[in-house]
Amino acid sequence: MATELDQLSASAIAAGVVAGDFTATEVARASLAAIEARDGEVAAFLQVSPELALAAAKATDDAIAAGEKVGPLAGVPVAFKDNMHLVGTRTTCASRMLADYDSTYTATCVSRLLDAGATPMGKTNMDEFAFGSSTETSHFHRTYNPWDTERVPGGSSGGSAASVAAGEVPVSLGSDTGGSIRQPAALCGVVGMKPTYGAVSRYGVVAFGSSLDQVGPFGRTVGDVALAMNALVAGGRDPRDCTSQDCPVDFLEHLDDPVEGRRVGIIPELMEAKGLTDEVKSAVEGAARTLESQGAELVEVDLPHMGDSIAAYYVIGPCEAFSNLARFDGVRYGYQEPGCATLAEQSSRSRAAGFGPEAKRRQMLGAYLLSSGVYEKYYYRAQQARTLITQDYAAAYERVDVILMPASPRSAFKFGEISDPTEMYLSDMYTISINIAGNGGISVPLGLGADTHLPVSAQLVGPAFKDRSLLTFARALERGTDAGAGMGDGAPVAPDFVGRGGDLA
Amino acid sequence: MALSQEDVAGIAEYAQIALADDELAEMTTYMNEAVDMLAPILEYDLDGVDPTFHPIGDLSNVMRPDEPTPGLDLDTAFANAGSTRERYFRVPSILGDGGVA
Amino acid sequence: MRELPDVLKDWEAVIGLEVHCELTTLETKMFCGCPNTHDAEPNANVCPVCLGMPGALPVPNKAAIESIVRAGLACNCEIQKHSMFYRKHYFYPDMAKNFQTTQGPVAFCMYGHLDLDVAGEGAAERPDGTGVDKAADGSYTTPVRILRIHMEEDAAKMNHLGGEEGRITSATESLIDYNRCGTPLTELVTEPDLRTPEEARLFMEKLRRIYLTLGISDCSMEHGSMRCDGNVSLRRRGETRLGTKTELKNINSFKSLHDGLAYEICRQAEVLEEGGVIYQETRHWEPSRRRTVVMRVKETADDYRLFPDPDLAPYDLTDEFIAHCAAEIPELPDAKRDRYMADFGLKRADAEQIAGDPDCAAFFEEAVAGETTKGAATVANVIVNDLTGYLNAAGIAISETSITPAQVKSLADLLASDAISSNQGREVFGLMAESGDDPAAIVDARGMRQVSDTGALEPIVDAVLARCGEQVEQYRGGNKRVVGFLVGQCMKDSKGKGNPKLFNQLLTAKLEA
Ligand SMILES: [Mg+2]
Ligand SMILES: [Zn+2]
Repeated sequence: MATELDQLSASAIAAGVVAGDFTATEVARASLAAIEARDGEVAAFLQVSPELALAAAKATDDAIAAGEKVGPLAGVPVAFKDNMHLVGTRTTCASRMLADYDSTYTATCVSRLLDAGATPMGKTNMDEFAFGSSTETSHFHRTYNPWDTERVPGGSSGGSAASVAAGEVPVSLGSDTGGSIRQPAALCGVVGMKPTYGAVSRYGVVAFGSSLDQVGPFGRTVGDVALAMNALVAGGRDPRDCTSQDCPVDFLEHLDDPVEGRRVGIIPELMEAKGLTDEVKSAVEGAARTLESQGAELVEVDLPHMGDSIAAYYVIGPCEAFSNLARFDGVRYGYQEPGCATLAEQSSRSRAAGFGPEAKRRQMLGAYLLSSGVYEKYYYRAQQARTLITQDYAAAYERVDVILMPASPRSAFKFGEISDPTEMYLSDMYTISINIAGNGGISVPLGLGADTHLPVSAQLVGPAFKDRSLLTFARALERGTDAGAGMGDGAPVAPDFVGRGGDLA
Repeated sequence: MALSQEDVAGIAEYAQIALADDELAEMTTYMNEAVDMLAPILEYDLDGVDPTFHPIGDLSNVMRPDEPTPGLDLDTAFANAGSTRERYFRVPSILGDGGVA
Repeated sequence: MRELPDVLKDWEAVIGLEVHCELTTLETKMFCGCPNTHDAEPNANVCPVCLGMPGALPVPNKAAIESIVRAGLACNCEIQKHSMFYRKHYFYPDMAKNFQTTQGPVAFCMYGHLDLDVAGEGAAERPDGTGVDKAADGSYTTPVRILRIHMEEDAAKMNHLGGEEGRITSATESLIDYNRCGTPLTELVTEPDLRTPEEARLFMEKLRRIYLTLGISDCSMEHGSMRCDGNVSLRRRGETRLGTKTELKNINSFKSLHDGLAYEICRQAEVLEEGGVIYQETRHWEPSRRRTVVMRVKETADDYRLFPDPDLAPYDLTDEFIAHCAAEIPELPDAKRDRYMADFGLKRADAEQIAGDPDCAAFFEEAVAGETTKGAATVANVIVNDLTGYLNAAGIAISETSITPAQVKSLADLLASDAISSNQGREVFGLMAESGDDPAAIVDARGMRQVSDTGALEPIVDAVLARCGEQVEQYRGGNKRVVGFLVGQCMKDSKGKGNPKLFNQLLTAKLEA
């Protein structure tokens, strides 16, 4: 019986590899074939790494043959956002600045998945340096939404979301500074999780906003995301990242805990927000009923300062981005403008030519907002506002275990549809307050919207370091939802791509 | 208080981003729009509120022991450098009067 | 230009120092595990963190924080429990990230002070009646407040090629070695409490002795592990408003610090007296030409876009941590000096010099273990004069010499018991250093023991008096100093073996008779 790789969850692949149903090498070849067949239309990848993939798969097969214990992701093909270092690949951040940058070391999040037995398939497209919500700012090419290739996959981790939605890989990693995992997950109809800040090491992930960035997984099921989360935190806190913390490795174990009697927060005001489409609103309301039908109690809560988070975010983000991107001066690495007579000329022309427009805009804004006299008015006050937003969440979590809201105000938009950068910033209206507060959030697919027939999602948001409970609620929602793969079975591969390449013998 | 084109040019010089004239005009428009978008922050009632610079609860005093760890060999350190000489990274003249005795 | 003492009669110099010190005794850099060494090949001690590679993150070195807390306690600072690292931005490739990780408004150590004892010739730089009570010998004590000592990371070293003397001016290209980039650096900032170049020099010397005793750095000004910038402005005596200051850089010795400030004070006085204006600028001290030259005029305040580093957790130092640091502070130089003076009767200058260098102090204490006051003072003498001179000439540290405390003790014993003269002592020291032999053995082998037997010396004295009638006349005519010449003659006749003190006594007795 022929098996299609894209019909298997990550846990099923790992189980099959361990059981000898197929080898890791066969899985890797199937994934390579699927990428070969599909990525011409999706363009999720910036770089496919067949040598690394086959070498890792062979190591897994050899370990199994030798009777050694293999990790929980044994043979599972994974893709990494191209802001994560992996020795043997380039890390470009989808920027001309780093077009030829060879990774000199491997990011902790990447090595943790590889240590768990995963097979690295390559690096995925993104908005340049993660500045964007559509992956349109990539220096190299667009990524096409597998559900409608005339539309964006969301961003900034658009390539990672699309690679999973197109069935090229079952799991990928993205990074989320203001919604960059949860929004593309919503637009591509896959599960995407931003864990609590500090749960996953940021070491080796090119920084955008250091106090906002967090790495997290994409999958087509909540279970696969939980599996990846286990692997990401299994090694304990990363001594190379001061802000990383220990968290228990029990995301899978409690996945199917009942939610009966537990409380789900609803914020009525958010459901009436300008820009929220009817189809997303009704889908999220349906999600509330799904949880209610499993015995969860719906409780109205209030986050009075949530409206302040957009301004706070667009202060903190650019300031930290300016600082983090100052290092790209073309001296030690990165694009170097030839023939410059002076150092200052070389730096400023290298930065002008190496960075795209949005990267320049964010850095310019940050450089202004941090300047003396301005810092006090904006950055300092944004961090004060952050305290109030965090306190709002903490107060809400006194009353509820999780909060349900939209992930994206709308389904995927067309290329070029939103051209004004400040308008684009509103794509993240539901996600950024979670980065400000630092707690976890997850996008759960709810099937297709009634009007656009494109994927729509709900977002669940939980207290800091209660990511396990967040996944339990996400699984409960998934259990009661048919997103297209069957009731309770998670999200389907986008129909146009199902079964194209990727036969497992 | 709007940012003038000169203001923006000054920021670009500090941030070492060479902007062409048309880019400078566009950037000035963007900067003013963005700053307008941030205006609400000036209105928040924040008296007596401590800032949260680190969204990590009460994490503090994170340090490592004074023990050496392996670094990069020279080839790897230089792998992405645009210009090196012998064992050094190389940059052009800093003051730009090179060659003038 | 007028001379300094003259200038300082009319003008009050207001001097503040910024002292950077690399924590050279640590194994690793400030925020990464790269070795913290000076002698590696260029770019051998580098990693993603200190090269500022994208995605790399800093993790502070605990021993560096302990070191700076110890420094703060030793300088009477208030240790700040809550502080943060900040990012200070400026685009220059000696900082791999184009920002320096340093501390913000709150440093680990704040509001300390050191008291300076100013004595000898240097004390005269400060005119009488300018805020200090001078003792009869002109010496005085003055406190210097320390605003802060903060922790930061050092920059890479740049070589400027094609320019004059490796200077940046007219260089055609520059080469960067990141070995020093990210090494642990403390920065101490004084209040502008210093009033003379001598006080500035003494402050640096005192600070260096403290840091050396704490063992946090080798404090080499020559190699740049201890660096000092001086800010100086002038105001008319009696004026309270501060004048415009200039900043003096490139000070690589205590002498440069003194002479550079002295020059700058005189230069400013001349400009002001001619009706000119002092510009706020950075000036470079050129020791060979004995002048300062302008490096950079500061037109506007630099805007470093300082903000708290989000990659580094804040500090909440516990009482236990601070107590643990305090417990590791050894006896500090001032306390040690006072103890040497009280217990061993050392002269203040000798005690200060020995106590200021921990290796020297250990050497001294080993040599004088169980010693009497007189013996200890002689040991101190040998160390301060013979040993220090020998080490300086050889260009080595006391820890590197093969001369042992026991040898110095043995030599001191010979001197203290008048077995040899101090001239012979110098000779024996040289022979000892050369051969490694014990001084007593050297003296015996060469028959150098000095003759302290009056019976043996008297005939020599008589012969000299008989021969030197002219000098005898002079003595009796009131020129008592001529006895020195006569002692010299006696020493010559005794082939250096006679005890000069005894000769002196015998001569004096006979001349006065
Ligand atoms: Mg400094
Ligand atoms: Zn390093």
